[in-house]
Amino acid sequence: MATDLRISNISKIYPGCIANDNVSLQFKSGKIYALLGENGAGKSTLVKILSGVISPDNGEVFLNEKNLKLSSPLDAKKNKIGMVFQHFNLFETLSVFENLSIDATEDNKSLRVRINEIFKKYNFSIDLDVPVLNLSAGQKQKVEIIRCLLRSPKVLIMDEPTSVLTEQETEELFISLKKFCDEGILIIYITHKLKEVLSLCDEVAVMRKGKVVSVSQTQNEKVETLANKMVGQKLAKIKKKINISKNKDEIFKVKHLNFYSDDPFETNLVNLNFSVKKGECLGIAGISGNGQNELFQILSGEIITPNTSIIFRNKEIAKLNPKQRREYLMAFSPEDRISQAAVPELKIYENVALNNFKSSNFFEKGLVNERKIKDHSKKILSDFSVNTDNVELKSQFLSGGNLQKLILGRELITAPELLICYNPTWGLDVGAINYIHETLIKINDQEKSTILISTDTEELLKLSDRIAVIYKGKLSKIMPSEEVTPEKLGVLMGGGSID
Amino acid sequence: MSLDISFIGILIGSIMASSVPLILAASGELITERSGVLNLGVEGMMIIGAISGFALMVITDNLFIAIVGSMLSGVIISLIFGFLTQSLLTNHVATGLALTIFGIGLSAMLGKNFVGIPGKEFPILFSSLRESIPFFGPILFGHSIVLYFAFALPFLTNYFLKKTKLGLVVRAVGDSPVSASNQGINVILVRYCCILYGGAMCGLAGAYLSLIYTPQWIENMTAGRGWIALALVVFATWSPIKVLIGALIFGGITILQLHMQAIGFRIPVQFLSALPYLMTIIVLVVISRDSRKIKLNTPTSLGRIFYKEK
Repeated sequence: MATDLRISNISKIYPGCIANDNVSLQFKSGKIYALLGENGAGKSTLVKILSGVISPDNGEVFLNEKNLKLSSPLDAKKNKIGMVFQHFNLFETLSVFENLSIDATEDNKSLRVRINEIFKKYNFSIDLDVPVLNLSAGQKQKVEIIRCLLRSPKVLIMDEPTSVLTEQETEELFISLKKFCDEGILIIYITHKLKEVLSLCDEVAVMRKGKVVSVSQTQNEKVETLANKMVGQKLAKIKKKINISKNKDEIFKVKHLNFYSDDPFETNLVNLNFSVKKGECLGIAGISGNGQNELFQILSGEIITPNTSIIFRNKEIAKLNPKQRREYLMAFSPEDRISQAAVPELKIYENVALNNFKSSNFFEKGLVNERKIKDHSKKILSDFSVNTDNVELKSQFLSGGNLQKLILGRELITAPELLICYNPTWGLDVGAINYIHETLIKINDQEKSTILISTDTEELLKLSDRIAVIYKGKLSKIMPSEEVTPEKLGVLMGGGSID
Repeated sequence: MSLDISFIGILIGSIMASSVPLILAASGELITERSGVLNLGVEGMMIIGAISGFALMVITDNLFIAIVGSMLSGVIISLIFGFLTQSLLTNHVATGLALTIFGIGLSAMLGKNFVGIPGKEFPILFSSLRESIPFFGPILFGHSIVLYFAFALPFLTNYFLKKTKLGLVVRAVGDSPVSASNQGINVILVRYCCILYGGAMCGLAGAYLSLIYTPQWIENMTAGRGWIALALVVFATWSPIKVLIGALIFGGITILQLHMQAIGFRIPVQFLSALPYLMTIIVLVVISRDSRKIKLNTPTSLGRIFYKEK
């Protein structure tokens, strides 16, 4: 039976922000639809409305010409609308089977039979009795999809599903999605990745600032045309010229880095050895959860591991804490901007003062020199084109992109010799990503080094001079980036090997 | 005082009796915490249960009404906590502390007229068997119905959490309220139910003290047992069976050290008094070392305020 989903004049207004402005769209089964837009364009709000998590201020949703009242997730379920969220909606400490059985109406025995049928049909295989926290991101997503399939959905909404997947897992996902589509399930695919839209979807709707700005057939679109529609302006292309010269000094050298933890949420690191040359960017690729967190914390000095040797500018720094490492001109930009890099409740200038280095004289005799900090902060705001000049603003009111610019600015204004960053463009929109990338390239041009730990292969290939892959706490051999292709990275990130 | 076999039987029986309020309160609080709610008001709910049970017994002269009434009073006072934390989104810790202070004050006020009134004898079951079988008699028989219920409760709680659909829902809510809500589970309702259940068990624990264990009303008669129950839940890493073990160790060493004091061991009294606390913590820490298991049992969202998107 054909499914027809129509959204009519949906509006949702939050204080100070119009998330959805009169959005109307129509979807028919048999096709895969893309909903494309930058962060904050209103895609997530729209799908939350469709899945009943939030209710719109205005507008209606029709499924096969029936007006749906979606006031809770239960209503969406009853109307056979399934949703796979970007941040998985799973219960980590419960087993896979418990996750699937929680809202099932049948008994456990027949549920197991049905799950196994789905496994067979789509070639999935997951141990049902392990806790979800032991699964990889790809497996977790499959659990979410199975949870939807168990309810034989008419509509399946995928919210940025590939952000945590490897290339191989992405391909598998696409095959499954095409299968679902052939079986008559209407698929709405939300993303900001242009290539995925072109390779997977039949029709694409682009959203910008809460409005639908274009609906078109993907066959008539190219990466550039979609990007311009999404951002609303022409984007400059950036590409780094790779600079490997063999005779440059090694500025940073890690030997025998081992880390062992009892915590099932942490990954053990096994004998990591690598070095970074002056003016070089070393990329470390990998799917999240393969030890990047632990590696970053060890490199920044948050975790001190025994028997590890870290040489920086000819000094042994393995036993130093982050503050002492900063004094030797290292700088760090952690993954989680809000909880690790900055304190959201503090004002901008207070956040700048947090990373207090000796030379700046921010503190005199234990007192805060507010004027000095504010002047310094203003300089950062203008040098790094943060979208405000008010240093008294609380950091939580900055958008992700602006907050990241502030953090990078804070780290870079001391002219560090080595910057270690972890997913610096995570969750940012195209404009902000471009700016951050340009900044990181500029650092290398000034003969300063960077270590870029990232889960974004495109970013790594764009910025790194050499790339290694981390998988289950082990580092692959380090390759010059011109020898690396996305496919090669994908194989290594999934635990395979290449020769 | 000779350490013959029947004396040991009686000793074990009295240890069991002394651990009942801990088992009841901790089992109730365990369910509350498993749903992600941290209610520090256990002590307050227990003392309210104790006074209302005793007062109802004096007024109605009916022990059944007294027991049911004490549980209801626990429900009512925990409803205040539920309303504040779940509907008005107040901080769990502060609200729980306030509940304890409020409970102790209110019970002292209500209990003024009941001080010094003698309690009523609570019926015990199988009293003839208690005398006729040596050693096992005093252990297994001659207890109140509340004791038998208390010793069954950890196993029932375990079964409820592990095997039933509702138990799964409670664990899911405690693991991730946002996910649960997105799956269509009414998180607030589940948490309310768990809070009220915890209140009922704490009320019953209080009534056990004032109606059965020491049948009379004394101001502040719970004497910190609520706090011990709270600590038991955490040190037992949210496992009902370990709560039972912990409660027995605590009750056991409390009784033993009293006997040791009476015999006149040459150990400082202060050390003996501290012994139950020390040993309970040591034993529970030792039996729950498996960090993997702890992670799986710990309600991830414990104490965090859940706010539903609109």
